[in-house]
Amino acid sequence: MWILSFVPDALVYAVVISIMFIGIALYVISFFTRFIPPLIPYSGIARILGTILTVVGIYFFGSYSTEMSWRAKVAELEEQVKVSEAKSKEANIQIQKVYVDRVKVVKQTQIVIQEKIKEVEIKIDSECKVTPEAVDILNEAAAGVKK
Amino acid sequence: MKTLLVALTILILAGCSTPVKRNFPSVPTELMEACPDLKKTEPTEKLSEVLKVVVDNYGQYHECKIKVDTWVEWYTMQKNIFESVK
Repeated sequence: MWILSFVPDALVYAVVISIMFIGIALYVISFFTRFIPPLIPYSGIARILGTILTVVGIYFFGSYSTEMSWRAKVAELEEQVKVSEAKSKEANIQIQKVYVDRVKVVKQTQIVIQEKIKEVEIKIDSECKVTPEAVDILNEAAAGVKK
Repeated sequence: MKTLLVALTILILAGCSTPVKRNFPSVPTELMEACPDLKKTEPTEKLSEVLKVVVDNYGQYHECKIKVDTWVEWYTMQKNIFESVK
């Protein structure tokens, strides 16, 4: 039935309904043909054809309804996806803003601490002397495990 | 006959494709940047110089921690939004 998606809905609906009603009409007419002598030989054929067309029409109508219900579900899902994508973008903006604000606080705190070091720099350096080994150990720790 | 069968199978199976396309949510560019390596201390005898580098490295750690925390938040948020579509 997916091939029907290329045909306009109204046309498909019209064809399906036509088949069904032509079938019903033929079936009903077949009962009256017996009263019209020239049409009596066609009575049986009309009834059979009417029955077939009615059954086929009902089958098509069922298929058409199923197709339409699937299309409605797809449309609903597409709408939900659109909404979720908009929400996702909004969430990204919000997260980005929170992230930038947090990093800003960290950087500001760092500046304040660096300033504090500058204030007591002379005192710290006069009372303590760092050996090259201490610097090496610190750098080794900073380098971490290199693969 | 074989060609006709293959063509028919392709035609029928083509109807099995999912019509609703979903895009993977994009990630804020800031979160895609890798955390930098820790700074190393230049050879010095001054403790204040060493302290400055250590403070810088602590700062980098905090920035990186924020990045990881934000990634977790991003994932949780996007997962909830993704799962809201049924």
